Amino acid sequence: MSNLGIGTDEWVAQHEERSASQSPLKKLFARIPLWAKWGSFFVIAFLFGMFSDNQYLLRVGVNLALFIMLSYGLNIVVGYAGILDLGYVAFYGFGAYGYALLSSEQLGQHWPTYITVPFITILTALLGYLISLPSRRLFGDYLAIVTLFFGQVFVQLVLASDNITFPWADDYVDITAGSNGIPGLDTFNLFGFIFDDIKDYYWLLMVIVLILTIAIHRVSATRIGRAWRTVREDALVSEVMGVSVNRVKTIAFVAGATIAGFAGTIFAGMQTSVFINGFDLPLMIMIYAAVILGGSGSLAGALIGAIIMTILPELLRVPNYGAILFFVALLLTFFVLSKKFSRFLIYVVSIILIGFAFQLAMTAIGVTQANAEDWVVGFTGDLLKNWLFVPENRILWGNFAFILLLTFIAFFSIAKPIWKQVLLPFIGFTAIFLWEVRLIADVSTTRQLIIGAMLVVLMILRPQGLFGQTRVEIL
Amino acid sequence: MASSALALTGLVAIATPAKAVTCTGTIAIMAPLTGGAAFIGKEQAGFAKVAIDAVNAKSGSTFDFKELDTQLDAAVASSLAPSVVSDKKIIGVVGPAGSQEVLAIGGLFGANDIALVSPSATRTNLTAGTYPSFFRPIGNDAVQAPTGARYMVQTLKAREVVVIEEKTAYGTGLANEMMAELKKLGVKATKLVVNEKNADYAAVVTRVPKTADFVYVTFQVAAKSESVAQELIKQKKKAVVFGSDGSDSPTFKTPGTFLTAFAPDVSNLPAAKAAFDAFKVKTGAAAATTFGPPTYVAAQVIAEAAVRVCEAGKTADRASVLAEIKKTNIKKSILGKAIRFTATGDVIGGTFPVFKTQKDGTRKTVG
Amino acid sequence: MDYLGQQLVNGLTLGGVYALIALGYTLVYGVLQILNFAHGDVYMIGAFLGFFAMTWLGGPLAPTVPVALMLLVMFLVAMMGTGLLGIVIERFAYRPLRNSTRIAPLISALGVSILLQNGALLIFSPSIRSYDTSSYIPSTSGFSIGQVTIDSVRLGVLVLSAVLMVLLTRWVNGTQVGRAMRAIAYDKDAAVMMGIDVDKVIRWTFFVGAALAGAAGVMNGLLLRGVSGTMGLIPGLKGFTAAVIGGIGSVPGAMLGGLLLGVIESLAQGYLSTNFADTITFILLITFMLFKPNGILGRPMMVKV
Repeated sequence: MSNLGIGTDEWVAQHEERSASQSPLKKLFARIPLWAKWGSFFVIAFLFGMFSDNQYLLRVGVNLALFIMLSYGLNIVVGYAGILDLGYVAFYGFGAYGYALLSSEQLGQHWPTYITVPFITILTALLGYLISLPSRRLFGDYLAIVTLFFGQVFVQLVLASDNITFPWADDYVDITAGSNGIPGLDTFNLFGFIFDDIKDYYWLLMVIVLILTIAIHRVSATRIGRAWRTVREDALVSEVMGVSVNRVKTIAFVAGATIAGFAGTIFAGMQTSVFINGFDLPLMIMIYAAVILGGSGSLAGALIGAIIMTILPELLRVPNYGAILFFVALLLTFFVLSKKFSRFLIYVVSIILIGFAFQLAMTAIGVTQANAEDWVVGFTGDLLKNWLFVPENRILWGNFAFILLLTFIAFFSIAKPIWKQVLLPFIGFTAIFLWEVRLIADVSTTRQLIIGAMLVVLMILRPQGLFGQTRVEIL
Repeated sequence: MASSALALTGLVAIATPAKAVTCTGTIAIMAPLTGGAAFIGKEQAGFAKVAIDAVNAKSGSTFDFKELDTQLDAAVASSLAPSVVSDKKIIGVVGPAGSQEVLAIGGLFGANDIALVSPSATRTNLTAGTYPSFFRPIGNDAVQAPTGARYMVQTLKAREVVVIEEKTAYGTGLANEMMAELKKLGVKATKLVVNEKNADYAAVVTRVPKTADFVYVTFQVAAKSESVAQELIKQKKKAVVFGSDGSDSPTFKTPGTFLTAFAPDVSNLPAAKAAFDAFKVKTGAAAATTFGPPTYVAAQVIAEAAVRVCEAGKTADRASVLAEIKKTNIKKSILGKAIRFTATGDVIGGTFPVFKTQKDGTRKTVG
Repeated sequence: MDYLGQQLVNGLTLGGVYALIALGYTLVYGVLQILNFAHGDVYMIGAFLGFFAMTWLGGPLAPTVPVALMLLVMFLVAMMGTGLLGIVIERFAYRPLRNSTRIAPLISALGVSILLQNGALLIFSPSIRSYDTSSYIPSTSGFSIGQVTIDSVRLGVLVLSAVLMVLLTRWVNGTQVGRAMRAIAYDKDAAVMMGIDVDKVIRWTFFVGAALAGAAGVMNGLLLRGVSGTMGLIPGLKGFTAAVIGGIGSVPGAMLGGLLLGVIESLAQGYLSTNFADTITFILLITFMLFKPNGILGRPMMVKV
């Protein structure tokens, strides 16, 4: 039976109950002043920039800042104004390629940075405006798909524009270098200061992110911000109330495009090369995931979402961190599911017993065991190597365990509570087995699996995102 | 008393020779381990691992292996590059797999004396001298395309060729070289450009004129070349498919087709057989395509260079390994040929024999 | 004229495959108003299941049963398998989100898509498998009308997709479950009040939609041979495009949209520069959408105030 929404009066009456039931942690969090919450992030960022020289971490910081900019922009379009723009990443690519064409040997142009960046940013804004014009006639999913088409047109056009044959010319014209990409771009050069170190870009971006945060926060409280929110909730009503919906949507669209274009130019300058396959759907998906995980419509959400989607994949590159994450998540899940501490202990003990039983069973059947050095990666393997029996043919057993785990989880969800309790330790053991036997060796694929699982689980647990507001449907 | 103690120490010093020098270090691979090109990266990683294990077993070294997933994306590669530079244990890198990735990180690695030995980046201008630490044990586009073109025109007497360029860094480079060479040989050549994500080749094949003798394909996925070959038969065109090393896989088996590859079919050579078997056991894969064996050689080059450094009594670090790689001289690699590098990083004698597919799907060297 | 005919045949075959994928999108959208982005990966799993069924029956070079039977088994296994997969996805990724915003299932679907792709990578390994169709269905078989050749595989795909579409229309219009599905698509709350078991109907919808995608996967394998873990992204996109052009939520619309998309693509590649074919296709589609914002057969969305 699907749940029907609740009536207006009842929702209003439940208000007291709702605010009383807020957990103490949430109340405490709400009492911290806004500037302190934001300030902590920026203080950490600035301190890091001042004291660290680790090139890799600085690069991650630069990636993070660019991603935050993109999340902010998409948040304005999707979160504030409610426009499902699936081609947003094309503005980023346009900004990057625009910069590339004016700062490389491709067209032989080397414009000074202080002209190129504003010029391309304004051009991107113009492009955003042009695209928003025909989109006015479309709503919802149809708008989504047209913006998707625009995004694809950009990618295909860039790919194809290295081979433009005019009927009158004998040879072809190469404008965008197609799939080869454009390397060797000039780095930023602002009034004599050359950005030749990654740290220069780091500082530039952190300052820009700070300014953007304040700016968007301010705008969000003005008339246009409120107009965005009413249009998102109900466009028809806002039109009736006197808000020019088309104009408001256009402004949001253009604002998002401008931020993306600006970020694109900085990206191109920093990487000193552009390749088209980085401006396609995979990146678009990541930005959407960041905005929605954080809670669309919330600036803080966009920031947190961006942090999760940038830092987490990097952390997961290292098997040890991945292992920590996995085991912590596993233990947490069990802890939450057991409700009582005594039950939690029972689960842990059962898992350990199953492990030993498994060892005995395997040796009895005569399955060859793999050498410890072969499969131990990271410290968790070291801890468990005497308890866990790892067969020689890891791939076969790993696949089997994967399918078994999925079957267990499937049964778990439809089983009666008593059976749920029995299944849980088996699920735990199979998960650990799978992790040590297969997943930890295949770090790259596991990384992606964890990201995918995280998206599904987070959405189910908190569909409105971390900082989003629960939307209530009132009949 | 003191003198005898001294003598004893001296004796001990002479008796235990400082020969068993342990050679350690990490060899990293940058390849697409996930994403659309994962089939390339996984195979490369598998073969690299097998090579390093083989060198470890033979010379008692203890090299580690580190996998870095770039998804064939230059942005990801350039993001990972600083982490490689700052990880001082890494003494050399196998890869990156894509030519555009080399463009993105070659400068940084050259400045830090980290060797890049790529088994699959074939863009010609990578060895124009811009990247002093870049090597490749395979021939580049400027050798492969003309070889194919000359064989088509001079031996097979082709008069009209259609080139299908797939819009990837690999395909575009190869297609351009092929068109240039065909023009030089005075043959009628037309180019059809297709997207990498193209769904169906029927429409493109319909465009191939009935008078065309050959269709040169620049795919890296052999199934696509096979698709085109079969489509040509289905649509009753006389053109025959001529592929590049990207089509070198058992999947491409229409009889009568040709291809150029950097080595004869190596899986039958005894030395190569051991590598193939080890690869199959380690990864559970049923067969290998064209990307594996060069990666074996690439890893071998780095590992053996490091071993040579250790045998000379020094510790294996980046600069010394790089210097040794320049002096690489493998007499018989699993690619069936010797491996020595030119001053700019190309392999000396990187030729591309031409193969013709027989009725049973195997290939025979014809040129 | 022959050239046009050939390109039309190419386009219709391609379009048939797109239509089957588009149908899955449209069916799910009709009942749940969500865009199932994991659909393309269901199609991919279908292609793999068909491949494994073929290998189990002896493989392309030495089938142990007659070819026709092997093909039948491949399709059945793929369709049953993907149908079940569709039900599982609905149960775990969409059911908990039934009452939340429209955008949450989108991200959940993306998560499922990533899981399916990388799960396939892990279990099946990334090597590209080949259906090797020409070993058991020779490419010289088939017939020609004038200069236009239609080989057996292409013919089979055309016929099969037509058959499946007819069957689907009968199911949607004729059976009780199909009618219930249309009722839910029209007004979910009213359907509930009329006593329709929404959960069961949604399960059926996902099953049928996914099974169609599975069939499309096997067809693609037979046509193009290559099967890999990431092959679902682009066809999924194309199927989604086709569903929206036809009017999302409309079953005949999805079929029409699919066929139209296939034909446009083939004609663009056939007559215009192959280089710019994709760009032009998308520009055409954009222009089309601007003139017909609700798709070919879509109903204009009327919002009750």
